[in-house]
Amino acid sequence: MSTGTSAAPTAGQLHFEDVAVGDEVPALEVVVDETQMFFFSAATYNGHRIHYDKDWAREREGYDDVLVQGPLQSALLARAVTDWIGGAGRLVSFSAQNRAVAFPGQTLSFGGRVTGARVEDGRGVLELEIAGRRGDDVLMPGSATVSLPLRGDGG
Amino acid sequence: MTQQTEETGQVPDLVPPEAAAQVGKVVARASGEVVRRDWQRWAVAVGEDNPLWFDPEHARAHGFDDVVAPPLYLQYAVLGVTPLDRLRADGSSGASSGDLAFPDAPRRMAGGESTTFHRYCGHGDVVTMERRVESIVQKQGRSGPFVLVTWRTTYTDQCDELVAEATTSMIARP
Repeated sequence: MSTGTSAAPTAGQLHFEDVAVGDEVPALEVVVDETQMFFFSAATYNGHRIHYDKDWAREREGYDDVLVQGPLQSALLARAVTDWIGGAGRLVSFSAQNRAVAFPGQTLSFGGRVTGARVEDGRGVLELEIAGRRGDDVLMPGSATVSLPLRGDGG
Repeated sequence: MTQQTEETGQVPDLVPPEAAAQVGKVVARASGEVVRRDWQRWAVAVGEDNPLWFDPEHARAHGFDDVVAPPLYLQYAVLGVTPLDRLRADGSSGASSGDLAFPDAPRRMAGGESTTFHRYCGHGDVVTMERRVESIVQKQGRSGPFVLVTWRTTYTDQCDELVAEATTSMIARP
């Protein structure tokens, strides 16, 4: 693919020394629409009607509309983290709970905060508290561990 | 019905014996090849433009042999195929979770997931999933009783090396 796409993320590589406990993971804002939901269900072979059959979602399951897939929200939350840590960063663990439903057309925000930092085996390890939100409502609380290169490590 | 339940103080048993008997058992095993086109379709659906998933040169510059799959994609690499006439009425497939049935709690929803990734996978890796039912617990929430099912899953590669370990849960409501 295009070689040009690699320049910016490489230049912006996050190193362990760039981050301190309390720092924010930049928030990713997304308005999921039904087209995105359709493609996500297709990519995950998800036939669950609550994601595309409005009559089923409303009349059979009592929701206001079709629901944004929980795994799509998880994926967006992980994307906020992996975008931030850059190509030399690694997602070590990821945890998220579905606490509330989201509907297409709503503005959702995915981000987090650094809660711990240590060096282990020549890499920086960060503990993150992460969440998917709709306004002030936490729809998906979670946590993650990432590993980052140390500066001067050629990472 | 909920009203009556609250008045009489009786909570219906939502976990059939057949489901309860599955606790501790391996209920699903599946293998699948990690395919670049498939994870890129998934990544595009998530709105991803991370070059690690798309750009081999970028991936090589960051310690990989080639592009790699987004870590959360792993669980989809092993998905089997359920014929349409064997889907549940709600369109969902139980194939990857052991097809546990909760006739009195038919409204299903993903609970949560917690995964440790030991390495990222690339095109051509063959991943095997083994999923065990860790627990099936009936709980009482603010809006009534529900069933919480928790699975423990391991993912290994073609060399029998552990790729990831996951705990996932599902909520079933009346």
